[in-house]
Amino acid sequence: MTTRVDLDDVQGNVVKAYARYGLVVARYVFFHVDVPVAGRKFVADIVPLVTLGTPWKDLSKTPRVGTNIGFTYEGLRHLDTPEVTLHGFPEAFSMGMKARREIIGDTGPSLYHRWDPVWNNQDDNKQHVHIMVTIDGKEEKDLDSRYQEIQRILAANPGVSQLVGHRGAGGDNLPYQPAAALLSTKDNLGYPGGKEHFGYSDGITTTFFEGCGEDPNLVIGGGKPTGGDPRTPAGWAPLAAGEFILGHPDEAFEYPEAPGPPLFSRNGTFMAYRKLHQNVGSFHSYLDEEGARFPDGKEALAAKFAGRWRNGAPLVSFPTEESANRFVAELAPLQVKVWTQSATPQEKTRFAELSLQLVAFDYRDDTSGARCPFGSHMRRTNPRSALQFGKTNAFAVPGALSNRRRILRRGLPYGQVDDPTRDDGDHGVIMLIVNADLSRQFEFVQQQWMNYGNDFGLANDPDPLLGNHGTNEGRLGGGRMTIEGDVVTNKPPYFCNHMPTFVETRGGDYFFVPSLTCLRTIALGIIDPT
Amino acid sequence: MNAVTPMRWYTAWWNRLFFWIAHKRPATTAGLVTLSLIHYARWVIVMPHQFPKLSSDQPQEDVKYAYMIFFSNFNGSWNQYVDSFSSAIPGGLNLFWFGSIKYPKSVPMLPFHRYITSNQIWTDYYYNAYPMASSNDVKSAKKVKDSLLAFIGDSQKAAPEEFMQKYNRLLIDLQHDISQMGPNPVVSLSASAVERNLRKEGVERKELSD
Amino acid sequence: MANKSGNAYALTVLCPILRGVPSDSPAGNSGQTYTALLRNVLQTLHVNEESPMAKVPNTYLCRFWVLSDVPYQGKPAFLEHLKSDYLVFSSNFHGELEPYLAGMWKALQEDVLAILWHCVGHEAVRDAKSFIEYIKKCQVTTTFFFNGSTDEPLVEQLKNLYLKQEFSRFAFENQGKSASELQEAFRGFVQRTQPTNLDGPTWAPGAYHLDRVEGASK
Repeated sequence: MTTRVDLDDVQGNVVKAYARYGLVVARYVFFHVDVPVAGRKFVADIVPLVTLGTPWKDLSKTPRVGTNIGFTYEGLRHLDTPEVTLHGFPEAFSMGMKARREIIGDTGPSLYHRWDPVWNNQDDNKQHVHIMVTIDGKEEKDLDSRYQEIQRILAANPGVSQLVGHRGAGGDNLPYQPAAALLSTKDNLGYPGGKEHFGYSDGITTTFFEGCGEDPNLVIGGGKPTGGDPRTPAGWAPLAAGEFILGHPDEAFEYPEAPGPPLFSRNGTFMAYRKLHQNVGSFHSYLDEEGARFPDGKEALAAKFAGRWRNGAPLVSFPTEESANRFVAELAPLQVKVWTQSATPQEKTRFAELSLQLVAFDYRDDTSGARCPFGSHMRRTNPRSALQFGKTNAFAVPGALSNRRRILRRGLPYGQVDDPTRDDGDHGVIMLIVNADLSRQFEFVQQQWMNYGNDFGLANDPDPLLGNHGTNEGRLGGGRMTIEGDVVTNKPPYFCNHMPTFVETRGGDYFFVPSLTCLRTIALGIIDPT
Repeated sequence: MNAVTPMRWYTAWWNRLFFWIAHKRPATTAGLVTLSLIHYARWVIVMPHQFPKLSSDQPQEDVKYAYMIFFSNFNGSWNQYVDSFSSAIPGGLNLFWFGSIKYPKSVPMLPFHRYITSNQIWTDYYYNAYPMASSNDVKSAKKVKDSLLAFIGDSQKAAPEEFMQKYNRLLIDLQHDISQMGPNPVVSLSASAVERNLRKEGVERKELSD
Repeated sequence: MANKSGNAYALTVLCPILRGVPSDSPAGNSGQTYTALLRNVLQTLHVNEESPMAKVPNTYLCRFWVLSDVPYQGKPAFLEHLKSDYLVFSSNFHGELEPYLAGMWKALQEDVLAILWHCVGHEAVRDAKSFIEYIKKCQVTTTFFFNGSTDEPLVEQLKNLYLKQEFSRFAFENQGKSASELQEAFRGFVQRTQPTNLDGPTWAPGAYHLDRVEGASK
C-alpha cells in the first residue's frame, strides 16, 4: 500500500497527540453562529491560527501552542453548507451525539439531563453548539495569549457568540472547558508521562497508520497485527490511513464514505468530544474494599480492571506486581533522562528496549485470560488479534475483527481531586476520539465492547471502568466482572460484584474536523457539490 | 435480515455444488464458526420451476432466473457487523454469492453492503425463543448445564473441603460461561422505535381468532 | 439432507398468496388485496412471550415475510416478474418436520387457518394431516443451512439458559463462604433450580425482559 497523506492539509490534532510534544494544557471553546456570513468570516479569521499536521521534526523548536477547529452538523448547516453536502454526512453525525444515546449507552447516570449546561440548551435555538475551537499549549500563559487572540476575532464578528455553561471548580458557567495533564515525576513513567484521576498511567499506545508522520518504530504495538512475533517489527503493519482520514483507502480497500464534493471531505475526519466525569470516591472505596478481599491485593485488582498496572506495565507481560514495579523502576528514571536530554547512548538504547515492552505484545500466550482478563478495559478496546480466540487460520487476517474498530485518542484530563473520598468534585477526562466513521468505529466499540460483552464470550458484562453499570445506590452499582483464575495453578476465578458506575458522561457532541483546504472553502462559502 | 438475489439458472448448479462441499467439509465454515455471531443462517436457491403452484387457477411462474434467498439471524444488525463478515471471511462470502447477478465481491465492503441492502426484504414478523441470548450464550449454557450435572454427580458424597475443591475446579472450567444475560443492545434506533411502538399500551392488537 | 444440521431443521416455505381482492373481505378492509390483508395480520401478531409461535414446541427462531416480486438489478440483467406474491415462512426448529408441523397445528390451528385463508389452496387444509401435506407442497429445499447454535430440543436450551443465569448469580453471591456454608448453599441451589427438570423452573420461550423470563412451570 502506498498511501500519501498530505499532512500539511490535515489538522494537527488528528495526527498528533499534542501532549507528547509538551503541550500539556488545553482549553476547549464552543461557539454558536447566529449569522452565517459572520460565521464564515470567523472561520476565515481562525484559519491562519490553525495548527496543521506537518511533522515537528526538531523537538527543541515545537510550537508553544496549537489551535484546531471542528464543526457539528448544525454548525455546518448554519454556515450555509450546501444541502447536497449535508445529506452526504452519515446519520450518526447529523443526529449528533445526544440523539445517539441509546446506541452509545449515555443513559441512566450518563443521561443528558446531568450534562453541563452548555450542552443542554436545545430549547433555545441560539445556544446550539456549532463550532469547537481547541487550544493546546505548553503553559497557561500560552493558552491565555491564544485565547485572547480568539476573543479579539470574536469581537470582530458579532454574528458569532461564545457559549458558556461548562461546570468546573468555579461554578456552572465557565466560558470554556479547561484541561491539563496530571504530571508527576514519581513512578508513573516520569515526565512528561501522564496519569488520570484513578491513578492509571494513560496515553501509552500510539495508534499508527500509514502516512501519519510519526516515528516509524511506533508501528510496533500501534499498528495492526500481522501474525508475526509482536515483540518485533515483523508483527505489525501500519493501519490504513482511511480508517482515520477521509479520502484515503481504508482497511476495506476503498475510500470511506464521505460527503461530496471530494474536495470537501478529503483530509478531514470526525471527532467525538466527550466529557467523562470520574467518580473518584466510588472508585477508591471499591478498590479498597474489594482489593482487601482479592487474593493478589489492591494494585493487582486495579490492574485486572484495566489490563495494565497503574504504573503502565501491561499485565500480559508483567503478571505480578513485583515484576511490574521492577520494570517501571528501571524505565522511569531513564525516561526522565531521555526527555531532559541527559541520557548516555547506552541509556537511550536501554530506554528504547524497555519502552517497547510497554506496547509490543499480544494475547497469544494468554488465551485463557489468566494474566489479562478478557473483560479488562485494554483487551476490550484494542483486542489486537485476540478475537481469533487462538484459531489462527479462521479469518482472512489476524486482526479482521479489530482493524476496522480502531480509533485515535486525543484529549486530556480535566480538574483535580481535592478529596479522593468524594465523587462530586471536578475531575475527569476530556476524551477526544478521531475516526473516519463514527458508527463503525467509536459507536461500535462503545456499544458492543464497552457496554456489552458478547464478542468476548462475556454475555452482557460491560467494561469494568467505562461501562454503564446503572445508577449507583450509594456506593453500590449493578456492575460485575469475572477475573479469570488459572487452570495451571488451580486458582479459581474471582468475582467482582456490585461495581458502581465509575465514569459518567457529562457532555459532548460529534464534530467534523475539516482539512485546511475545506476550511478555506467553508470560509469563502464556495463549496459547490455540483 | 432477508435478501433475494437473482442468478442464472445454470450458474445455480455451481453454487449448489459449493454449498454441498461446504456442508461436507467443516473446514470451509471454520471462519463462520469462529465468528460465532450467528444463530442460524441459510441460503435457499429456488430454481425457476420450483415456485410452488397449488391450483390450476394460480398462474405458472415463467421467470428465467433462479433466485437465491438468504436468511440470517444474529445478535446485532447487518449494518454493524457487515464489516466483520467482509473482513473475516471474504472468500466464503464470495463462494456463497457466486453467480448472483451483479454481485460485487465482498471486498471492498461498501459495494457489497449496498448490494445486499438493496436486495433486502423487510421481515413482517419475527419470533425468537430467547431474545436475550446470543448464540454464544446458547452454546455456553449447554456447557454450564453439562458441567453442573457432572459436578453434582461427582460431589454428592463429598465432605465440605473436598466439595470446595471440586467446586473451584468447576468455576475454573466455567469461568467464561457465567456472565449474566439480559436484553441485547439496541441495534438501530429505527428498530428500537418499532419495538417500542409495538409494545405501547393501548395499541390495538388484532386477535387472530376474531 | 440440506434441510438439516444435526437435529436442527431449516424449514423454508413459500405459500402462494391469492391474487386480487377477496369478495368476502373482513369488515373495514374492502378494496385491499389478499397480500395487504395478510401483511396486516402478520404485523399485528403478538410478539415475544405472547407470540403464537411461543406455543409451537421446539421453535428456535422463525419469521414471516411477503415476497411481492423479484428484485431487478439493472441492465444487463433481465427485468422479470413473479405472477403471484408468496408468503415466506422460515423456521429453525429441533426435530423432524412432520412432528413439528403436527405440533404447530395442535397449538395454533385457528391462527394457522387465519393466515392460510390468504393463500392458494387453503380449502384443502382441514386437519393436521392435510396441513402437513399443504406445507410440504409449499416447501423449498434449503440449499445450505449453517447452524451456529446447538441442536438440542428447545426445552433443553431454555433450561440451560436458565441454569447459566442462575448459576452465574450463585457463583457471584457465594464467593468467600466457608466450605460447609458453600455446600449448604449449593444444595439449596440445586433444590431451587432442579437442573434435570425440563418442565420448570426455566425460561419462558420468547421472554424479552429479565423480569418476565421465568415463566410458570408447565
